[in-house]
Amino acid sequence: MNITEKELIKRNIDKKNRTKSVIKKFYIYFVLLIIVILFSAVFTKTELFGRGNFLSIDNIINMLRMSVPIITLSGGFTLLMIAGSIDLSVGSEMSLSAVVFAYLILNGFSFLATFLIIVVLGILMGVINGYLVMKLRITPVIATLVTLNLYKGIARLMVPQGLLSIKSTATQAMPAWINDYGRKDVILGLPWAFIVAVVVIIALVIIQRKTIIGKYAAAIGGNRTAAELSGINAVKWVWIIFIIVGFLAALAGMARASYMSVGDPLSGSGMELNCIIAVLLGGTAFTGGEGSVIKTIIGALIIMCVTTGLMTVIPAYWQTFATGCVLIIAVVLNQLLAQEKVKA
Amino acid sequence: MKPNAASSITKGKMSNESYISLFMIVVLIAFFGIACLFVPNFYLPQNMINILTSFWYIIILGIGVTFLLITGNFDMSVSGVIAMTGVLAAYFCQPLSQSGDAASEMFSGLGMPYWLAVIAAMACAVLIGAVNAFFIARLKVASIIITLGTMSVSRGIGMFIAQGAQRNMNLPDEFKVLGTSYLPNTSIPLSVVIMVVLVIIAVIIEKKTVFGRRTYLIGANIKAAELCGVKVAKHLTYLYLFSAFLAGITGILIASNYIGGSAGRAQGYEFDALVVTLLGGTSINGGFGSVLGTVVGALILSVVTSAATGLLLSPDWQYILKGTVTFLAILAQRFALDKRAK
Repeated sequence: MNITEKELIKRNIDKKNRTKSVIKKFYIYFVLLIIVILFSAVFTKTELFGRGNFLSIDNIINMLRMSVPIITLSGGFTLLMIAGSIDLSVGSEMSLSAVVFAYLILNGFSFLATFLIIVVLGILMGVINGYLVMKLRITPVIATLVTLNLYKGIARLMVPQGLLSIKSTATQAMPAWINDYGRKDVILGLPWAFIVAVVVIIALVIIQRKTIIGKYAAAIGGNRTAAELSGINAVKWVWIIFIIVGFLAALAGMARASYMSVGDPLSGSGMELNCIIAVLLGGTAFTGGEGSVIKTIIGALIIMCVTTGLMTVIPAYWQTFATGCVLIIAVVLNQLLAQEKVKA
Repeated sequence: MKPNAASSITKGKMSNESYISLFMIVVLIAFFGIACLFVPNFYLPQNMINILTSFWYIIILGIGVTFLLITGNFDMSVSGVIAMTGVLAAYFCQPLSQSGDAASEMFSGLGMPYWLAVIAAMACAVLIGAVNAFFIARLKVASIIITLGTMSVSRGIGMFIAQGAQRNMNLPDEFKVLGTSYLPNTSIPLSVVIMVVLVIIAVIIEKKTVFGRRTYLIGANIKAAELCGVKVAKHLTYLYLFSAFLAGITGILIASNYIGGSAGRAQGYEFDALVVTLLGGTSINGGFGSVLGTVVGALILSVVTSAATGLLLSPDWQYILKGTVTFLAILAQRFALDKRAK
């Protein structure tokens, strides 16, 4: 058997590409592990898993409770980015849902009624975003910047004059059960909101991998013209994904409002940035066409670990700086791993 | 005959850019007219001067953002650079601390003379621009994300140096000169004069120099630019350094105006600069746009904000108004361009 030089080089490149794709698949779990180990070993003096340690049960449960909004949201955000679009208004969608939720609960609506109204609100916001981006063909960045301001404005308008957020006042008390959804423990110390988030994640993973929504999203993101020529109605499917994102943002806002017992029109600010970091850490390409919901969730967990871990160590005014550095590192890592050197 | 770019060039004598600029001027006049109807005293000369000069900082930022957007890149870091430069300028020229206790942290700094502090702060601003350029031009990372990151980083540096508060004590007298001087006998601040000078320089670069033409080429077709021998990475580096430089100047002027450096300033300016650039007709995909358009866009925003204030709307309603108007203007732009291509 005669192996030519060309063949040898090709085999080498194939091997390199294969190693690279293996690294690509698993590095995110590796990173999470490293960060967890780092935080538990360096910043605490007590034993592993003990009280006061990063890995203590209390701390883990607390972190998971606080991470409910972002993990609810970032799965859907991934789907949208796979389809080649983006929604910068998710933070404002979340804030608006939080404010509406608090407002309704404060004024005596039952949980079920509020839940249904919030779901409708989320779908409505998604419909609007989808319409602007897909029907009017406005660039997603601009369109969702506009809706970002629109939803933020509406949320701020709903808070009565003089207050910063919707909460218990001298005249009206916020019923105590508002906390049940986001805080009260149902299983292992985790609230209903977390269970909902897990269900959402499972659903999204199935959608992304097994259903046509996921396949079409990848097709549209990879090459929209080719997808449309193949008979995929890009407008309809991406619009559906925008509606999914709006729905999830509404759920996230509800979880946040329930956790904090207030409706704060600023509660979702910056969430879009966190989502982008999570997606990039998870290896999804910014241009679309491929991506993974599960890896984004791991990315979101990494962000939560880093932010909660750093909160105890660095003062508040360092945090903006830290977030920026994390973002830059995340995106550079993403870029380096996404490039495959193929020398033919 | 199918409409395409070539037919639109041969049909009219105006370039697409000038057409859009003209269109937006018409929009500006339309908005101004509507505002005059609804807002009392809108057409007073004092108000006009106010409209023309109140957004000088957005226009300066807009110059940098426009050039970069023409190449298809974003610069979202400008607001962080403004905050950082302001804080650093204050820090550098505060007197050296006499005692070593922490209580005087906010009252003392590095004790440089004012002109040196300005130069040092500007150098830091340009450094941020270099960081941007490194990641975007060299490592070819997505510009919008990186610049959002550098915005957080630079604002974070500002926050750290100001420890979350402000640095406005013990500043030398020269500190407030730049920001609070006016042209003799008028109420036009020095900042506006600087803005006008910068705009003129920018327009000359854009229309008359090879550098300007190359910027458009990079935005239109980056491969073609590379094959023509344009050193794209170097070009983008210059643009990012320039944008950071402009943000630095703005930071110094704003800090001087407020007589102090604060890390919370300039929030949202980067989005305003982007909106204004887009209103001025610059395409978000690159290859198309003009600085004069950006100036018109800023004036539109100025008219709308001024009208909203004049109508005594609450800040929340102003927000919604701004968003709606931007939206309508961009829709109108899209409509006009589509029609022209037919």
